[in-house]
Amino acid sequence: MGLFQKLVNLLGVGRKEVNVLVVGLNNSGKTTVVNSFKSEEDKMTDIVPTVGFNIEKFQNQNLAFTAFDMSGHGRYRDLWEHYYKECHGIIFVIDSSDRLRLVVVKEELDLLLQHPNICQKSIPILFFANKMDCKDALSSVKIAAALGLDKIMDKPWHISASNALTGEGLQEGVEWLTQQIRENLNVKH
Amino acid sequence: MSAFKRDKKEEEDSGGNPFQNIEKTSVLQEARIFNETSVNPRKCIPILTKLLYMLNQGEQLSAKEATDVFFAMTKLFQSKDVILRRLVYLGIKELSSIADDVIIVTSSLTKDMTGKEDIYRAAAIRALCSITDATMLQAIERYMKQAIVDRNPAVSSAALVSSLHMTKFAPEVVKRWVNEAQEAVNNENVMVQYHALGLLYHIRKTDRLAVTKLVARLTRMSLKSPYAVCMLIRIAAKLIEEEGADNSSPYFQYIESCFRHKSEMVVYEAAHAIVNLDRTTSRELAQAISVLQLFCGAPKPTLRFAAVRTLNQVAISHPAAVTACNLDLENLITDSNRSIATLAITTLLKTGAESSVDRLMKQIATFVSEISDEFKIVVVQAIRALALKFPRKHSVLMNFLSAMLRDEGGLEYKASIADTIITIIEDNPDAKETGLAHLCEFIEDCEHVSLAVRILNLLGKEGPKTKQPSRYIRFIYNRVILECPSIRAAAVSAMAQFGASCPELLENIQVLLARCQMDSDDEVRDRATYYSNILSKNDKSLYNNYILDTLQVSIPALERTLKEYIQNSTEEPFDIKAVPVVQISKPDEQDTKPKSEGMLISSGPTKTAPASREEQFAVRLSNLPDVQSLGPLFRSSEVIELTESETEYVVRCVKHCYARHVVLQFDCLNTLNDQLLENVRIQLEPSEGYKIVNQIPCPKLPYNETGTVYIVLQFPENDLPNSIGTFGAVLKFIVKDCDPATGLPDIDEGYDDEYMLEDLEVTLGDQIQKVSKANWGASWDEAESTFFEMEDTYALSSMNSLEEAVTNIIKFLGLQPQERSDKVPKGKTTHTLLLAGIFRGGIEVLVRAKLALADGVTMQLTVRSQNEGVSELITSAVG
Ligand SMILES: Nc1nc2c(ncn2[C@@H]2O[C@H](COP(=O)(O)OP(=O)(O)OP(=O)(O)O)[C@@H](O)[C@H]2O)c(=O)[nH]1
Ligand SMILES: [Mg+2]
Repeated sequence: MGLFQKLVNLLGVGRKEVNVLVVGLNNSGKTTVVNSFKSEEDKMTDIVPTVGFNIEKFQNQNLAFTAFDMSGHGRYRDLWEHYYKECHGIIFVIDSSDRLRLVVVKEELDLLLQHPNICQKSIPILFFANKMDCKDALSSVKIAAALGLDKIMDKPWHISASNALTGEGLQEGVEWLTQQIRENLNVKH
Repeated sequence: MSAFKRDKKEEEDSGGNPFQNIEKTSVLQEARIFNETSVNPRKCIPILTKLLYMLNQGEQLSAKEATDVFFAMTKLFQSKDVILRRLVYLGIKELSSIADDVIIVTSSLTKDMTGKEDIYRAAAIRALCSITDATMLQAIERYMKQAIVDRNPAVSSAALVSSLHMTKFAPEVVKRWVNEAQEAVNNENVMVQYHALGLLYHIRKTDRLAVTKLVARLTRMSLKSPYAVCMLIRIAAKLIEEEGADNSSPYFQYIESCFRHKSEMVVYEAAHAIVNLDRTTSRELAQAISVLQLFCGAPKPTLRFAAVRTLNQVAISHPAAVTACNLDLENLITDSNRSIATLAITTLLKTGAESSVDRLMKQIATFVSEISDEFKIVVVQAIRALALKFPRKHSVLMNFLSAMLRDEGGLEYKASIADTIITIIEDNPDAKETGLAHLCEFIEDCEHVSLAVRILNLLGKEGPKTKQPSRYIRFIYNRVILECPSIRAAAVSAMAQFGASCPELLENIQVLLARCQMDSDDEVRDRATYYSNILSKNDKSLYNNYILDTLQVSIPALERTLKEYIQNSTEEPFDIKAVPVVQISKPDEQDTKPKSEGMLISSGPTKTAPASREEQFAVRLSNLPDVQSLGPLFRSSEVIELTESETEYVVRCVKHCYARHVVLQFDCLNTLNDQLLENVRIQLEPSEGYKIVNQIPCPKLPYNETGTVYIVLQFPENDLPNSIGTFGAVLKFIVKDCDPATGLPDIDEGYDDEYMLEDLEVTLGDQIQKVSKANWGASWDEAESTFFEMEDTYALSSMNSLEEAVTNIIKFLGLQPQERSDKVPKGKTTHTLLLAGIFRGGIEVLVRAKLALADGVTMQLTVRSQNEGVSELITSAVG
């Protein structure tokens, strides 16, 4: 990184734009997660199941994020792949209290990792073990084990337990993601 | 002249189209830029514009291409650029019917439609409606309801109009928005009020009572929007027609009161409605006509145009009333707006006397080259009406038409001229030779292939019957030398007709056909070889069946049966007799249909002609169990009402005739909103000899829905006389009382009930399909030796005129009149009616009825058919 670029970054002008894809089963809390990243005045008050996808923008440090918040309904999961190619990072949201569908989560995750547009790239994946406030929620360690995350070798990943309603755990996760993406961008320069 | 040329050149340069040379592949390639991480509106806007332009020019995309570009476009939602976003909406609408998975943008659009940016909201609603289907509608229902009553008029209008479109695929869901629509009718905004009324009417229109209430309420409330008032006038006029009401009805009084409305549009609409009512009397008419007369002198060209156009349209039905405006119309002949002038002149032509024809034709000639094709067609139609009214004027009119034929013009215009000449030829034997000569001259230089082919066909049919058939051969053969393959092929067929009908020309024709066998095109060679072979046999009956009479089967049905035949891999040869013959459509059908609906819901640009009624029935019926084994559908009757109108249950019947069976289709409508009917059946008492083979009840019939019950019957075996019969019928069902609001039954148990229907008849006409013979006389002569003949004489004492007798005989026998013998020349006391048709099972029937007028009508009926029983049946049925 040249001196000029360093300066620019420091001052926060010429903010880098990056795309992240937000996926996960329906009702896992994707839209709620994205919503809590937005500034107060842009926040939605009433969140309904997504049909198709929504585009939301938010900022973290000096990165301008464009989030593609996809629908997790079974009928629309096939459509995620249309947006794989251009993304710099993935946020994968899991409902930690939904033990029954954890196998479905694993199936979808494996499909995602095997996709030609994803498997070649070393893009960071951030997992939110969401709904940690629910009483029968699994811990993030258990979820990582159930999904076999330790087998992901070629991509940086991170898992945070979160509560999207209060915002707990979200910041930590997204900071990790910002860091990763920034490193990726710098390597390219 | 040179200055003129330069001007023209400059015009071309500056008005040049920047998108002239765009190409599909390159546009799709460029559109990949939409996928880039950060969207650049400045680059994307021109590309998206090109894409839209290309689609509007009719470029076709494959599903894959469309889907790819659609998904690329979805990524543009990232950008907040207003212009780009609105182009995206348009793109979504264009691609929604071709691309897959278009529902992907549902959430993004709902966000825009409910968001803060007003510029997005209306357009997002329209885009949303184009990607939504019935299953998805539930998800957005809440937003639609809110949008209908939104404070922003553009949003409200968009939601109302979109709802109207969505009634096409989800009428039940849209019905639930009736309260919101009702509220929007009270909106201050003129457009919202109009759109709300449109939707409200559409939701209610099948429920007569509800429409009546709606009209009653709105006529009292004095709508603010003139557009809405116009709509209300149309609805009221439709109610008058349906109820057969007269001028004392409140609807009529409402329309009349609109004459005093302050908006000219409304006043015009009221006048238009009244002159178009079926049963207006001269008194009511006078007021409406005087409004139109006033508008004829208005300074606004739109008003003059509207008035004169309406007068033009009703000139035939109300000549006397329109003549009252003659003076005003004369003034409009020189109107600087040529469309107005044309309509004025043609109106005068329609109502004028024979003596004024020459003068008016001269007037038209001065500016016919200045008006658009559309109005030229109006002129042509007026000439057609004139020619039929004043046969003696045919040479003036024909000359005029042939001059018009030589001018530039589009296909529709040229076709209308050719049609008119053909009509005149058919109607007036004196005009035939000149008419044919004009047409011969025309095809020498005719750029429309389809028209040239039609004219060649006509020459082949009519030419041999003229005094000097040989003179047409040269014109026809010239086409073989000069034209494209399809015209050459038509010319070959036409020559063959001469060969078959004129023995003295046969030798020459054979020489020409021999030359055509060397043609470079397969079709032309095949036809030439085929005709040449048949003509060399010297066999009248072969000529009749294979040259003069053309294929009479219905083409879609032929396609379907051939497809089935190929799939079945049977050894048996294909039986052309098993293909249903084509139903001859009534020419006036197309003219009358759009009238009432078209005034209320615009139908948009005309799409390709839908499958014939028969074909639609055939497809529907073939889905019923075991109906396929009955063979091909032979004929479907008109719809018969088995209940009085406005009863609790409405039952209509269509009789579908097969070779040995008849399938009765009962369409039942439940008009009681507090009843759910189940297990709906028809109990039939068939007449002697009929056997019921199968019955298919309708399991459920909720309020305001139509369900269908089918009964399959076998015709009496070997007993033709009993095939004409009358059946008693009772509608039987289980009633469950239910809550009108939800349509859900109160209790699980229902009770049996029944409802008497009117008797149902199977007639002779139901078993006969109309066909046209190219040369009835030849077929008749040939049938003398090979068919079974029956003859009888009847006294039709109840008939007072030959016309009346002719109409009744045609209706009763269900046969097609031939050689225009259904037209009785004025003042004659004898007439011969020639008929042809096919009885179920493929039995040909020819009938000649000699009629004489003397104290009632006496008729000598001669029937020739391929089956003795059928000949007998027809003669006995008449008696
Ligand atoms: N208790 C709890 N509820 C949550 C949390 N996050 C989201 N929810 C709730 O979970 C439900 C679903 O949230 P959404 O954000 O709509 O889920 P989604 O993943 O976007 O669902 P789709 O759009 O259908 O794929 C909502 O009722 C949220 O209020 C959480 O951390 N704790
Ligand atoms: Mg969501």
